[in-house]
Formats: sequence, structure tokens, C-alpha cells
Amino acid sequence: MIATSKRLLSFIKKYVINVGKELYTVYSRNLKFKVGFTLFIAMIILGLFSLFSPPWYKSWYGIPKDKPPSLTSIHMLLGTSSNGRSIFWMITNGILNSIVISLITAVVASHIGLFMGITAGVKGGLVDKLLMFITDSFIVIPGLPLLIVLTMLFKEYLTIPALGLMISITSWPWPSRQVRAIVLSLRERDFMVTARLSGIGTGKIILTEMMPHLLGWHFINATNTVLYAIATEAGLAVVGLSILSEDTLGTIIYWALNYAALYRGIWWWIVPPIIMLVALFVSLYLISTGYTEYLNPRFRRR
Amino acid sequence: MISRTLLVYIAMRTVIFFITLLTAFTFVFFLLKAMPTNAVENIIASMTAQGQVYDPKALIALRKSLYELFGLTGSVMEQYFKYLYRFFVMDYGPSIIAFPTPAKDIIMNRLPWTIGLLGFSTVIAWVVGNIIGTLTAFFEGSRISKLLESVAVVIYPIPYYIMALILVYLFAFLIPIFPLTGGAGIISGQFTIEVIVDLIRRSMLPALSIIITGALGWWFLSSRTLTINVLSEDFSVYAELRGLPRTHILRKYVLKNILLPQVTALGLSLGMIFSGALLTEIIFAYPGLGELMYRAVSTGDYATAIGVLSFSILGVATATYILDIIYPLIDPRVRYR
Repeated sequence: MIATSKRLLSFIKKYVINVGKELYTVYSRNLKFKVGFTLFIAMIILGLFSLFSPPWYKSWYGIPKDKPPSLTSIHMLLGTSSNGRSIFWMITNGILNSIVISLITAVVASHIGLFMGITAGVKGGLVDKLLMFITDSFIVIPGLPLLIVLTMLFKEYLTIPALGLMISITSWPWPSRQVRAIVLSLRERDFMVTARLSGIGTGKIILTEMMPHLLGWHFINATNTVLYAIATEAGLAVVGLSILSEDTLGTIIYWALNYAALYRGIWWWIVPPIIMLVALFVSLYLISTGYTEYLNPRFRRR
Repeated sequence: MISRTLLVYIAMRTVIFFITLLTAFTFVFFLLKAMPTNAVENIIASMTAQGQVYDPKALIALRKSLYELFGLTGSVMEQYFKYLYRFFVMDYGPSIIAFPTPAKDIIMNRLPWTIGLLGFSTVIAWVVGNIIGTLTAFFEGSRISKLLESVAVVIYPIPYYIMALILVYLFAFLIPIFPLTGGAGIISGQFTIEVIVDLIRRSMLPALSIIITGALGWWFLSSRTLTINVLSEDFSVYAELRGLPRTHILRKYVLKNILLPQVTALGLSLGMIFSGALLTEIIFAYPGLGELMYRAVSTGDYATAIGVLSFSILGVATATYILDIIYPLIDPRVRYR
């Protein structure tokens, strides 16, 4: 028991160190990745500010309402909303919640995709056909209408983790298809044949021979899933179909629209969440294209 | 001339089309079964609790259709087949938004609106995006190309609904040249010139939000990448070495090669219009499927909401099916298998 847990620990340690090294290499070589990664880290740090939010930040009319941004105190930094809440704390909490939802989706969906893709690609034959058929059927189900019906059905049971899981339902098929395509092309390479002929088991081949080649794409898939999940949650929230009692970037926009902030000139309520969303999208997109350029020189700028 | 292989191919694709639909519908069936409370009785209770008097026959029909949609009557197999039957014949029972009118009729009324707006703007975005993308790749290194590329990197990841909000702010509030809501003038049903002009003016902003994000986003980036790839192929380099005029290379070498994948992608995104841009309609109160779904969700009208969902599944599946069948006709490199 202790031996296995030690081995597992050393494996995780190696995994983390390798991923760190890899990220550092890409970071120092690719400008897009560098900009995107820095921006994303900055967003996370801004989100982590929410840990210091005062206990009353959720209550209404705790501070004067509709006040424009001023430097008098940290609560007033971005002004206040029409129900007397500090927009600064709403934004920081919103960023963190949006990122948490999307990270849950990324972890769940991209790993389902990875697992399905590897199984289909390695096993081949009937298993491959069956799994890909299921994947294709899920691609046919349009994501947004499905999620709208789901939020309608499970409205009372929505929590932040549940929302992350729900968005996973529509976001695993693409990673799965992509991983399968890469596995199929890997299977034909010389080193795979060598490995198979030297009698290494399938499990070990996947872990030691395939994973190093797959990890980069897995990372890109996960990044794209984060992007998709943030966009989807915000989209659902903007029309009022998310968890409206929690602050996410989308629900802040919803409430601002609900109070007609746009037409009453309370721009400091609606502009910050939009800017933060755009910054998140751009940073994630830069991370994913930067990494793709690093992995696949064909996309590199000439 | 129709060969045997073609027939076999079409037959296979048709079978796969139906099995895919079956799988997707089955999945939705399980989701509806997972619904924790008896939604149907809640809906009917809340309807009658408002004190309005409804036609009892219509109410019974509503209860029956909802019970079958949610799979609540009979044995499991019976539930499943009744549900599937309703999905395949598109009979979702009476809607609640406009009570005894069947949900299918409401959806059918809204359908042309969605197809009109999204079909039109998808095609425009495709044309504009491809022209700009190909040209910027062709004249890579010029200042305008560099500018457009950085604009695209920012615009591409922005979802269309955020673009819609930005446009509303700019053109309906700061510079009020466009009305806020789309398509409301048509209810009268008369198609005079004024009504049509009004319709176009009202649809302008929703269309623009989709065109800008589409043209400067995905279509721009994909056609640019494709062009760069074609230009780095040996035959293009050779053509340039032979001293062929640039316009000739553009027309005969680049366009021919990039149109193929782009036409495919256009077909796919036309199929996706049922799931795409639902949010634009909600933001602009445009009377399409998206707005209908939104109203259905907010009034608890399950029949209509499920109807729109199954419609969009049908739309996407049909588009993929048609594309698969005609694709080998466009691309001589792909043969029917």
C-alpha cells in the first residue's frame, strides 16, 4: 500500500515537473503563448482577490447605490451597482466562479475525451466504430438548446460544480475525435511497432510511448474546453439561465441588463464584466494557438 | 448515371442518419427521465391555479402529451416508443405559451425567421471572411494584413452575444440609428415595401453581430491558414518560379484549393444555425426559434422547449447527411465508399 502510494506520488511529481518544464519551454519560445499565459495568470490573481472579499459583499444596499468608480476605498474602486453592491467584489468573485466552472468542465470533459479517444484509437475495429458512433451522435445534439432544456429541468439543483458537469455533457466529443485521430497516426509510427514487437503491454505502451505525444494536444483540448465552458456559461447567464444568485461574469451582465444599466448610463456595471470576459477569451485563445504553433510547425508564422 | 456504389453509399448514409437520430433522441429521453420531480403535474397545477378557465379537452391532451414526452406512462418500453414516436412525427402536444395551439405550429411559424436571419448572415459572413482572409494571406506582410490579423485574434474568441451587446450599446444607444428590437413590425402580415424596409432595418443589428464575429473570426482565420498552406505547396512555388502573374495564381491555384474545405464548412455551419445564435435572438427580441425557446423556458413550457431542441437535432443531423451525400460530387478526390 505504502509502496504503491509512493510510486503514485513520484509519478504525479514527475508528471507535474514535466508539464512545468514543457510549459516553460513553450513560454520562452512562443510570443502568443507568453502573452496569453501571462494574461490568464493575471486574471486568476484578480480572481483570487475575491478570497479577501468582505462578508457583506453579497448583501444589498450595504453601500450607496449607483456610485461611479472612485479611488476612495477598495469597495468603491469600480463603483457600485443599482442594488448597492460593490462591483469590484462582484467582478473578482465572478472571475473566480467562471474559472472554477470552466476548470471543472475542462478536467471532466477533456479526460472523458482523452479516454474515449485513446480507447477507440488503440482498440480499433468494432470498439472504435461504436465509440465514434456515440461521439458523432453527441456532436449532432446542438449544445446550446440542450443546455437550455437542462437548466430548465434542473433549475433547483444548480450549483457551481453541477453547472460545470452539465456543460461537460456537450463538450467532450470534439476532444475525443481529435485524440483518436492523433492516436491513429501514432499507431503507425516505427517506434510504436518496435515497442509492440519488444513485448511491452498495451497499458505501458499507452503510458510511456503515446502519452508524451498526446499530452500537448490534451493540454490544448483542455484550454479550448475552458474557453468553451466560460463562453457557454456566460451565454446561458446573459439570458438568465445560470445560477443567478451567484456572481459569475455572465450573471453580472444579466443583472446589469435587467436593471437597464446600459440605458441609464451606469457603464461601470456592464463594461467591466464584458472586458474581463473578452480578456479571458483572448488569453485562452492565445494560449491554445501559441501551443498549437509550438507543436505543429506548419501553423508557425513564416 | 447512377452507379451501384453510389446507391449503396446513399443507403448506408441514410441508415446511419436514422440511427444517429435515434441515439440522440434516446439520450434526450434518459435526460427527461432523470427529471427529479413530476414536472407535468406541477405545470398543470400552476396553469389551473392562475384561475383561468381552460378547455378541458385541450388540458387532457396537454397532460397526455407531456406524460408521453417525459416517459411517465406504461412500461419502460412503451414509454420509450411513445416518446420516440412523438419525436419522429414532431408531435409535442399543445404548447403552454399560446395554450391550445400545438407546439409544432408555433415552432413552424418561427422557423422562417430563424432561417432567414441566420442563413443570410452566415452566408454573408462566409463570403466576406473568405475574401478578406485569402487576400491578407496573399499579401502577407503588408501593414493592412498585419492589422487585420491582430483584429481577428481579438475578435475570434469573442462570442457573438457579447458582440451583440457591444453593438446594441453603440448603435442603439450611443448613436441611435437602429431600433432595439427585431422584426416586430411584421405581425400584421402585410408585405408592403415599407414593411420590408422596416424588417431589414430591424434585422440589421442582429445580423451584423453574427456577420462581424463570423467574418472576422473563424472564416477569416481558416481561409487565411488554408491559403498560407496552399502557397507553401510545391506547385505554388513552382508556379511563382515560372513567372505566372499573381492574379492567375490566386484564381487558379489558391481559390480552387481553398473553396473545397470552405464550402464544406459553410454547409456544416448552415446546419448548425438551429443551435447557433439563439442568444442573439433573445438579446434583440427577434421572433425566431431562440427567442421562442427562451420564452418557453421562462414560462415552464416544456413541450415547446423540447420541440425546439428536437428540431435543432433534426436540423444538424439533416445538414450533415446532405453534406455527406453531395460531398463526393464536389470533391473528385473523395470517392463513395
